[in-house]
Amino acid sequence: MASLEEEALRLIQCTPGGVLQSELWKQLNIDSRKCSRIVKKLLDLNLIERVEHRSDGIKTFMLRGKKKTIDACLLMAEQELVPCIACDRECIVEECNLIVDWIYQLAIEEAKK
Amino acid sequence: MTAISDLLEDPSIRAYLLRLIGEEGVDLLVKFPPEGEFSDEDLAAKTGINLNSVRHTLYTLYEKRLAGYRRIKNAETGWLTYLWQLNTDAIYHAICEDLQMVLEKLENRKKYEEENDFYICKTCGTFTFNEVADTNFQCPLCGNPVEHFNNETLLKALDLRISQIKQSPCYE
Repeated sequence: MASLEEEALRLIQCTPGGVLQSELWKQLNIDSRKCSRIVKKLLDLNLIERVEHRSDGIKTFMLRGKKKTIDACLLMAEQELVPCIACDRECIVEECNLIVDWIYQLAIEEAKK
Repeated sequence: MTAISDLLEDPSIRAYLLRLIGEEGVDLLVKFPPEGEFSDEDLAAKTGINLNSVRHTLYTLYEKRLAGYRRIKNAETGWLTYLWQLNTDAIYHAICEDLQMVLEKLENRKKYEEENDFYICKTCGTFTFNEVADTNFQCPLCGNPVEHFNNETLLKALDLRISQIKQSPCYE
């Protein structure tokens, strides 16, 4: 996905209640035609939804992110969350005992399947 | 917006949020009123959670875009008030970002596992060939003999998880 589309998606997904299309192009610093093309692409990819919206009598669209089915289980091994989340240690992955222990859990989980 | 109770039903998301904001932070999420926007002091009063803890949680959530605020200025006093609301839908974006970070670390570890030959001391753990070659294949920490360690199982598990992450919707 192009970086501008990613930025648009991030803005839409990360704004509580959604973003008005008439505001989105201003925030992205692009013209409204280019913004329409980006919105169409995100709609075609089923990443966002668009609802008609009237602002001061002018018709525009409210854009909201669609819930993605990210499997948070990918962060887990057995019942253990990967230690890297919110980790504030200096990261040297070759020397990190926490990640080694977690990878052992991963191997045990796989062996059980 | 996704109900926080629905998110917390998923044990993986619950574990993720617990790591980010701790028990008190999750308690704030549960007690956060479903509609409207609130100052940190309102939230502390409504939920009974310590104000410092409320603030700490809100800032952490904001860094992950799981909460947002609107700033208002009192025209008379000039005081700024931050009114907060949750944005639970951003959880999927936050998890995606962290999955990408984890993927990079797992790939680095996989490379390290592939490029090295490992030896194990039953008391002290594993060492690379270079670390034990200098000590005549005795543990550099306790001096006991070390044995060759076959890391094939670890590599298989790493490979599988790396490919699962790459196939997740984050990479579509």
